[in-house]
Amino acid sequence: MINLKESFKESNFRDVGAHIWEHASAVERKIMAVSFIGLAALLPFMGFGLLDTPVSDYGAVLVYPVGMFILMALGLNIVVGKSGLLDLGYVAFFAIGAYTMAILGTRTSLNTWEIMPIGIALAMLAGLILGLPALRLRGDYLAIVTLGFGEIVRISALNTREIGGPNGIANIPVPPSIGPLEFSLNDQKGFFWVVLVMILLTIWMIRRLSVRRAGRAWEAIRQDEDVAELMGVNTLKYKLWSFSLGAAVGGAAGVLYGSKTLFIAPEMFTLNVSILILACVVFGGMGNIWGVMVGAAILAYLPERIRFISDARLLVFGLALVITMNFRPDGILPRKKREKVIVKKEKNNG
Amino acid sequence: MAKVLLELKDATIKFGGVTALNNVNLKVHEGEILALIGPNGAGKTTVFNVITGVYQLTSGDIIFDEKSIKGIKRYNITKIGIARTFQNIRLFGDMTALENVITGTDVHKKSGLLGGLFGLPRARREENAGRQKAHEILEFIGIDEYSDRLARNLPYGVQRRLEIARAMGTGPRLILLDEPAAGFNPAEKVELAKTIKKIRDAGYTVLLIEHDMSLIMGISDRVAVLDFGQKIADAVPSVIQNDPRVIEAYLGVPADAS
Repeated sequence: MINLKESFKESNFRDVGAHIWEHASAVERKIMAVSFIGLAALLPFMGFGLLDTPVSDYGAVLVYPVGMFILMALGLNIVVGKSGLLDLGYVAFFAIGAYTMAILGTRTSLNTWEIMPIGIALAMLAGLILGLPALRLRGDYLAIVTLGFGEIVRISALNTREIGGPNGIANIPVPPSIGPLEFSLNDQKGFFWVVLVMILLTIWMIRRLSVRRAGRAWEAIRQDEDVAELMGVNTLKYKLWSFSLGAAVGGAAGVLYGSKTLFIAPEMFTLNVSILILACVVFGGMGNIWGVMVGAAILAYLPERIRFISDARLLVFGLALVITMNFRPDGILPRKKREKVIVKKEKNNG
Repeated sequence: MAKVLLELKDATIKFGGVTALNNVNLKVHEGEILALIGPNGAGKTTVFNVITGVYQLTSGDIIFDEKSIKGIKRYNITKIGIARTFQNIRLFGDMTALENVITGTDVHKKSGLLGGLFGLPRARREENAGRQKAHEILEFIGIDEYSDRLARNLPYGVQRRLEIARAMGTGPRLILLDEPAAGFNPAEKVELAKTIKKIRDAGYTVLLIEHDMSLIMGISDRVAVLDFGQKIADAVPSVIQNDPRVIEAYLGVPADAS
């Protein structure tokens, strides 16, 4: 049985969660997972008007920015949190996904679900094209090159008349309905559930890979790239995988975003978005899935909510970030700090 | 004589005007413990870095198992059977001891990222085999009780031993130990000497850098001495102990010698 009292003796929120999870039996874990997913799926019904923001209602905010930010932060977390590669151009993959949706959606008869794999593939390809030369660099140098890549994508879109230039692309179709589930802007529950499924898939992917060869390779690269290579890790290959999986998630988010907003333009894909997603990862707790999600949810929702103080909101937002990072430099829910051996011993005793 | 596993041929490496290794010829025979000694700055760790591909030779060649490994990528050098430890401990601190060793075993796995993601049978099999092997190695080194502890929280001595275990995880034929006894007390050194002998007896070839003379003389089959990037002696321990050039390199020339 789960011993709550014992769980709360742990100092750290993340550890409390891990403690409960590790002490749960297989059935208890299934119940927890199912009820958690169920709760998440019911989120669109839980606003009660209280959580509406000055510009848009709760249901819409839940999809964008909250859901989308969580999705993108999870994707970026593979790159920054797991592999330790500082990527400041993540918005480029989001943009590539969105433009793929916009171009194919308005000019061909393909629908959102058919465009999704194409958008993901193109984003991954872009990740490879950027990664192959850039990933030979490290640290700050890599950050600068990725930052440049993000800008190149945006400026290319801005200057290409065929895809609308600064005017962007309008009249992007919404996704066709899946059975009884319809997608419209007035009721965004459908979009939310799709984002939720994408988030769950991403979590599944990260959790799975974390305990396998790829996860260890990323972890080794993050901690000491030279030693990783000397221990036989093909560092470039795994960095490329990390980059392109991150890109895939960004691209998927982009396709859905394009299909939801009906209109996209280059000005939506500025450096600010990259920085904000990165802030979500760092603020929530680099490398920890739950931390990243909490961070993204807060950083996505907060600026919307305090929009009534108009321009000063960015000031308040920045201040909140500085204060939080001062008290919790590793993020709200930092990565694993505790050790499994504790659990084992207790199990043996009990 | 056993077969030559690794050979440095006229190995020379220059950093700008500094010649770190100067025409070094060195043979490591299969199944022996060869100690590499020399004063600080003699080029011992440079030899390790050259063998593992961290530095590229300016001239000369390195032969491993009858093939030149000059210019081969570092991870492939590990794959063909050379592994090393580090003078200043460089473990993956945020991983458990077991994960550190499993990371070493990953080098020979055939299944990649997608196999792991979709849980293909081969990936599962290899994952279990790697875990099993890692436990066996930790047991062999005598630190299996620490397998689930994070590497950075381990006691110093255990960390040093874990470095050896991680290197063994890559399934090497030749294992390079860079000052494995640094910071050890006499009792720990005796333990380590036993472990190194055990490693050799298990079929590994060991190339060892050490400063502790009693440890070296006790376990080495052969000793090579470097001084200012040149090999000045290469013989069995008892000969080395009385070699005037070696004594000179370590203690300097007596004042009344000339």
